[in-house]
Amino acid sequence: MDERVVVKKNGRLAEATRYLADEALDGLVAASNGLNNFLESNAVYVFSGVRPIGESAVVLDRDGASTLIVTPAWDEARAAAASSTDRTIGTDDLAATLKSAVGTHRLDLSQTVSVGLSLLGAALVDRMTSALGALPKAADELARDFARLRTPEELAAAERATWIAERGYERLLEYARPGIREFELAAELYCFMKKLGAEDNFLLLSASQHNLAVRAAGERVLDVGDIILSEITPCYRGQFAQICRTTVIGEPRPLIAEKFAILRDAMGEGLAAGRAGATVADVTRAINGVIQKSGYGEYCRPPYMRVRGHGLGITSDRPGDIVDTNTRALESGMIFVMHPNQYLPESGYLMCGEPVVVTDSGARALSARPAVLDVIAI
Amino acid sequence: MQTVQPCVTIGSYIWAQDRLPFDEFALRLDALRAAMDRNGWPAVLVYGDVREHAALAFLSSFIPRVRWGMALLPHTGDARLLCAMSTRDLPAMRTLTWIADVRSGMGPEWVNAFDPWLDRFKAEQTQKLGTIGFDIMAPVLYGAVRRSLGERFALQRADDIVAIPSCRMRPRELTMLRASCKLLETAAKTFVDSWRSSHEPETAALDAERAARSRAAQDVRTLVSLDGGRTLVPFQGRFEKCTGPLVGYLAVKVAGYWADLFVTVDDGSATPATRHAEAALDAIIADMRPGARVDALHAKALGALAPYKLHPVLGGSVGHGIGLSLHEGAEFQASADATVVEDGVYALQVGTADAEAGHVLMSAIVRVAAKGADVLVRSKPQAR
Repeated sequence: MDERVVVKKNGRLAEATRYLADEALDGLVAASNGLNNFLESNAVYVFSGVRPIGESAVVLDRDGASTLIVTPAWDEARAAAASSTDRTIGTDDLAATLKSAVGTHRLDLSQTVSVGLSLLGAALVDRMTSALGALPKAADELARDFARLRTPEELAAAERATWIAERGYERLLEYARPGIREFELAAELYCFMKKLGAEDNFLLLSASQHNLAVRAAGERVLDVGDIILSEITPCYRGQFAQICRTTVIGEPRPLIAEKFAILRDAMGEGLAAGRAGATVADVTRAINGVIQKSGYGEYCRPPYMRVRGHGLGITSDRPGDIVDTNTRALESGMIFVMHPNQYLPESGYLMCGEPVVVTDSGARALSARPAVLDVIAI
Repeated sequence: MQTVQPCVTIGSYIWAQDRLPFDEFALRLDALRAAMDRNGWPAVLVYGDVREHAALAFLSSFIPRVRWGMALLPHTGDARLLCAMSTRDLPAMRTLTWIADVRSGMGPEWVNAFDPWLDRFKAEQTQKLGTIGFDIMAPVLYGAVRRSLGERFALQRADDIVAIPSCRMRPRELTMLRASCKLLETAAKTFVDSWRSSHEPETAALDAERAARSRAAQDVRTLVSLDGGRTLVPFQGRFEKCTGPLVGYLAVKVAGYWADLFVTVDDGSATPATRHAEAALDAIIADMRPGARVDALHAKALGALAPYKLHPVLGGSVGHGIGLSLHEGAEFQASADATVVEDGVYALQVGTADAEAGHVLMSAIVRVAAKGADVLVRSKPQAR
């Protein structure tokens, strides 16, 4: 699958062009800071299909003509080959080149909107302001709104990312053993999944006899009785997919399995509640309800958990964090990770989560094998 | 070299007190306090993000693995560190810094963590606070800072006044950087060995990455050429065989310190481009003495490289400082107005892309001693 084909087919440039016409606007400037936060939409990726190295921008005018500007200059050839824009420019001076592109597209900046400028560094924003005279009005929700529903090609990429995540977890079960350090295990999983095509990976992996939370791998030496928490999040062609798993080295205490079952039940309720038309708050309440019924209502807040899931960048982070204050309605085709990860006083932090796609009858897990409490036999 | 920024840095992170004990930070903070005295700042705010955090790491040892961190360093009293992490994550964050008071600065936590800390500096007149790293702060966070400060405080840019990190490396820093160079050499050897058996540049780069990560690298970056050295690209996931020489770029980070290297291997006879590039690298290494002007070093390198032009991926530069950041200090460009300093550590880089003479990229990391350059790592010679 070619990145360029994906973007051409998803038609987000065309959708943005229609938006400009409907709103009687002259143009759109979309920017990326190049940081690739997996919880955020990358507006340049959404409109060009290019994952930029440095700060970058897409300029789109009301006639549908588009230009991608990437830094550093030497990345132009790669970006041009992958971009769905009409033109690609490599530069080491984004502000000056943006000014030139705005001129070429004859944009009236008072009639132009922007996405992502608020994420750029202050000095670069100052240089852009100086170069352009004024910044276009911010419309920071546009990219994530346009991309909130995955295209069939993006869904296929998300399914592939999920497949990679599951293979990565299988590798964890093979490779983890007493005596190795967390970072060695993380290195193996990261490179293993990269070989399968994962261009990025939000991989948290840590162990303890009593976890407070999951964190990035450190120097801890694994040993019998350790509970390994893993949040495995490969990105395949712009689509992150996350699975959350709990693994015990050696036979776990019965209590751990008993508490893990609460999370699995919560996951089941969340999946059932996650149908199109329901709100994110509905899903959150369904998950929290199981945990509350089990007697842990007071633990349904930080620092005992963070959120019950979240959207996945870099295409669109819609529907946002899975929290009970999020009243956004779910739509068929939205993808997010649902994870009733939870600290419980008797077991410590446990993890159980799947990437899901919203359907009319509920949320469907993209993973083939749902989370169970896995055991590494000694 | 710029590379694609990963969404999180995978690797071995902890405040390594055995290698960088608090007394090392105390020396750094003494220098900062002297600057506070000179400028009338009761405190300095030091910001860093996941991509650029040299000053933050230099003063606090904290390296953000996602988003950002900010050290609030008073002239007297206790420091505080804010990070863009949930309260759930704070116990793990506390293992990364000597600062005991680590708070979440995310969302609603901001006003509880930042504003009360400032109260100690209340005065009738507006107070000045020094800032480091605020150039890369996103406007939305800068707005939160400004709202918290109100009229009570004015911000004064301290980046150029304090020069942090120092370009002169102390012995412990040099030890760290030597460790990075050693791991880099291991990764580079793996890169070449893998390519010789597979002729797949991406497989070779991934094998090199695995070698470094499994040996406690905090970060690894790679670029490879899929066209024999004319261009470099980040990970594509194709793992295809490629004809022509192996040309790539490796960077590894150990205990906060970066080392990087260009690798060119052509198992045939050395091309004219390779011979000229090696001569250019030799020439600048020979001239790396305290006080050497970087524009003169640039001219020297280009003279030895002639008639070939500098490879486009080098952006017109033949070197720069390296340490807590991959690029520190002035770029060695034609227009630069800077000199190299004793005990400074620099990455030197040359190469060319010429359809007739060949494509080549090579580099070295050197420490500048009184008598000349101490080469810490260097691309393996091809022409000699």
